[in-house]
Amino acid sequence: MRLEVLKTPAQRVGLACVALALVCSASLVAQSPFAPKVMGPLSQRVVAYQIDASYDPVQHAVDATETLTYRNLTGQPLSRFPFHLYLNAFQPKSTWMREAHRDGRFRLSRFETWEPKYYGSNEVTSFEVVGIGDLTKQMKFISPDDGNPDDKTVFEVQLPRPVAPGQDVQFKIKFRAKFPEVVARTGYKRTFLLAGQWFPKVGVWWHGAWNCHQFHALTEFFADFGTYDVRITLPKNYVLGATGIQTSDSDNGNGTKTVAFHAEDVHDFAWTADPNFRVIESEFDGSVGPVKIRLLSYTGHKSSWQRYVDALKATMQRFDQWYGPYPYAQITVVDPPHGGEEAGGMEYPTFITAGTDWFAFKGDHETELVTEHEFGHQYWYGMVATNEFENGWLDEGINSYTEAKVLDNMYGRNASNLNLLGAQMGDASVLRSYYLPVAETDSLARPSYTDMSLRSYGGVTYGKAASMLLTLETVIGAQTLRNALHVYFMKYRFTHPTQEDFLRTVNEVAGQNLNWYWQQAVYGTQVFDYAVLRADSTPTNWHEKDVKEKPGETMYETQVILQRKGDFIFPVEAEIKFDNGESARERWDGKDRWVRYVYRKKAQIRSVEIDPDHRILLDRNYLNNSYTTEPQRAAIHKIAAYWMFLTQMLGHILSWLV
Amino acid sequence: MTDEHGGLVAAGAHLVWRRRSVLWWVFIVNIALGVLGTLPAARQLHHTVRHTLAGEQLVKGFDLGMFYELLRLPEVNLFRFTVSSYLFASFFAIFMLFVSGGILEAYRQDRRLNTGDFFAASGGFFWRFVRLALMSLILFALLGDAYLGVEKASDYFGDKAVPDQVGFVIWIVGLIILGLLTLLVRLWFDIAKVRAVARNERSMLPNVVKAFDISRGQLGTLLWMYLRISLVAWITLLVAFLIWTKLPPTAIWATFILLELVMLVQLGARLWQMASATVWYQRQAEAVPTEIELPTPKLEEVTEAEPQLSLYPETELPAADD
Repeated sequence: MRLEVLKTPAQRVGLACVALALVCSASLVAQSPFAPKVMGPLSQRVVAYQIDASYDPVQHAVDATETLTYRNLTGQPLSRFPFHLYLNAFQPKSTWMREAHRDGRFRLSRFETWEPKYYGSNEVTSFEVVGIGDLTKQMKFISPDDGNPDDKTVFEVQLPRPVAPGQDVQFKIKFRAKFPEVVARTGYKRTFLLAGQWFPKVGVWWHGAWNCHQFHALTEFFADFGTYDVRITLPKNYVLGATGIQTSDSDNGNGTKTVAFHAEDVHDFAWTADPNFRVIESEFDGSVGPVKIRLLSYTGHKSSWQRYVDALKATMQRFDQWYGPYPYAQITVVDPPHGGEEAGGMEYPTFITAGTDWFAFKGDHETELVTEHEFGHQYWYGMVATNEFENGWLDEGINSYTEAKVLDNMYGRNASNLNLLGAQMGDASVLRSYYLPVAETDSLARPSYTDMSLRSYGGVTYGKAASMLLTLETVIGAQTLRNALHVYFMKYRFTHPTQEDFLRTVNEVAGQNLNWYWQQAVYGTQVFDYAVLRADSTPTNWHEKDVKEKPGETMYETQVILQRKGDFIFPVEAEIKFDNGESARERWDGKDRWVRYVYRKKAQIRSVEIDPDHRILLDRNYLNNSYTTEPQRAAIHKIAAYWMFLTQMLGHILSWLV
Repeated sequence: MTDEHGGLVAAGAHLVWRRRSVLWWVFIVNIALGVLGTLPAARQLHHTVRHTLAGEQLVKGFDLGMFYELLRLPEVNLFRFTVSSYLFASFFAIFMLFVSGGILEAYRQDRRLNTGDFFAASGGFFWRFVRLALMSLILFALLGDAYLGVEKASDYFGDKAVPDQVGFVIWIVGLIILGLLTLLVRLWFDIAKVRAVARNERSMLPNVVKAFDISRGQLGTLLWMYLRISLVAWITLLVAFLIWTKLPPTAIWATFILLELVMLVQLGARLWQMASATVWYQRQAEAVPTEIELPTPKLEEVTEAEPQLSLYPETELPAADD
């Protein structure tokens, strides 16, 4: 390692001592952060964070010292370094808060008015560069995305001399993190704390430039892989969980304890603490060895403990089999307390937060869904570390797609989301329902943080992306797409691929150029809507007088016209059924505005249906996808019966009041 | 509970059964208005799914995704037809307000009134009952406000407590208390209605005060009476719900019949409450032998065959010893 920045012998000796201490401490780590058959390093370790933090549960604040060693692998000298201070987003004039207020709400929280409980901050009290000195006064807040002068979520420091390619530079940062009452994946609730995005984090040098966006309400994060050694001091009655594995737990003799964690080849570090946590442990036997499952939950959620563990194992099994191995030694699942739901449904490397209720119904698969979804992010975000600021769909969209595949496999396609009291809903239908209201707003390719609104971001990033991939299965097959995801995962894990990398991989594995599809579904906002325009049969001897139709004897000419109502061009299949039991399947390339099919046979048409297997999730209107010659009254009667009952009951209730 | 008071509920039920034509008519009107309230939505559904296979997903298991599609699509947009439901539900409430006078008169006389008599009684008391309804709505609104308070308290204390169920327990306890208070207000104004019919009261405010006065000594008895009838309605609803969960999704007609049976029981329970209140009022009037001079009710012409129970003065009865 060349240490040009650290020029004096004293500095070099000092750093050598630190390095020696690191090696020693690493050797003291009895347990590897990886599964037994995995040997690190797995990534280009650009960063190494050592953080010594002390948590004050009364103030909901952390005072910490961070030592960040950054390795310059950019191939060019670097003198400017940007850092994230994510917790500063929770201030009234921040860009995050502007966006959340603009769109009315963020997840479960409403931001119509400012409330002091939302306040959070990251305050850097000292910023030193080893070998250069104290640069605290050189720190400058910047707003690269929107120029908001009041946003303090990114600061940069200009070094007096650059860090040469291949060199390391070490930052020593003292900071105080003040947490909000739980909001946007971080914060406290009563004695519970989820510490996410809590420490100063360097940006990512990506495609020849620093990529260090402000914190936006719409999008999530992006960071480099590296190692984390974090020591947390807090009252000794607290139970902790964190990214990586726990390496030590020492009683300080003053009512506090210090717990140390170690993680490798991850790009973030989150932790949680609560004296009321109950720890449930289990193990998943994966293809690279056993993985420890550590669930942190509450007595009140006891009925969900087994559900969490079962859902996690079932998910890990399928991911292991379909996409690739989970290489870490442990996965920690945090079940937030009631009222702390904003901390739920979030992913951090080897550490996920889920969510349940004390009364969670069995047929409501929400608990399993969240567990599955967040574990899926270990692959699509955790290991395949795409830029969530810019390409949200690469993690949320692909993950939503795999969520539907896993849940469908577990519970059946029509009931994978809900199967309760006669009502059913498949997960793919839920994802499609996100997409339908915003189908014409933002393209997937648009930088996610610039999407029209939170609703549009959610609908497009999760719903449209998943629907787009599910629809793609009709072109290349479900197995081919699964193979493509496997190849994509194995090829790009522990790197930062782009959307082009993903699209190219699918093209390669499918063995066909799918750019016609990507242009519309990823880069465009074309409306997808195919419809049945006409379907009828007439006797071929219609011109004769007194035509008498006889079933099975009269020859009919059947006309079927399919129409492309939207701009999205896509090959569709249609099934035509006749009253003698015969049927025909037609495949239309969908390019023209309409197509006509004519049949001459001794049978009349009974029905025609586009996408008879219901695989095209992108179609905006399912109601015009079919036509039957015989009226279908059952559904009308069913809804009308319920509607009428509700009307009657409402009248009864009103009459009771007067 | 004494036998006498224990018999109130049974006597009320018998009265509803003897005058069951009232229930049938109320049920028929409820169905008719339900049909009218549903027609616009049904027509739209007819137009939209009559010739599509999409509806199959609603028939063979209720696919919420498809239902969402029906609600959401601009050309379908079933939500806009809820206006019609609200409208016809309101008509039913007005209808019930209108016929309450006739129903109570039929119960008071315990004989079948001819159409003219029934509607004469209905019309005669309509505006008086409107005034009563407005007064009761003020109280119901206050109870609604109190419910918001319960929700806030539930959120506040639930938020502070570590166990998950604290908020829920506060909410459910609050809900039960407010439910009982709501029932109390209902029975109070029902007594006022019964009294107004029995005594042909014209001035509703003093009537409400008097109704409270005569019933307060037996509030527990009356509340228990109303509560038991309400419980029958709720238990029926629960049983029907359990049956409904066992029905195959394609059993549309069976579902329809089950729903309408539920509706019949709900309406029956309401009439049962009114009948029981009438019986209670008549019994408490009978219990006091002293007669006083009262103005002759206008409706005397049509009720001359009835025993003139209502001419007894009301006196507060000692509380039931149960």
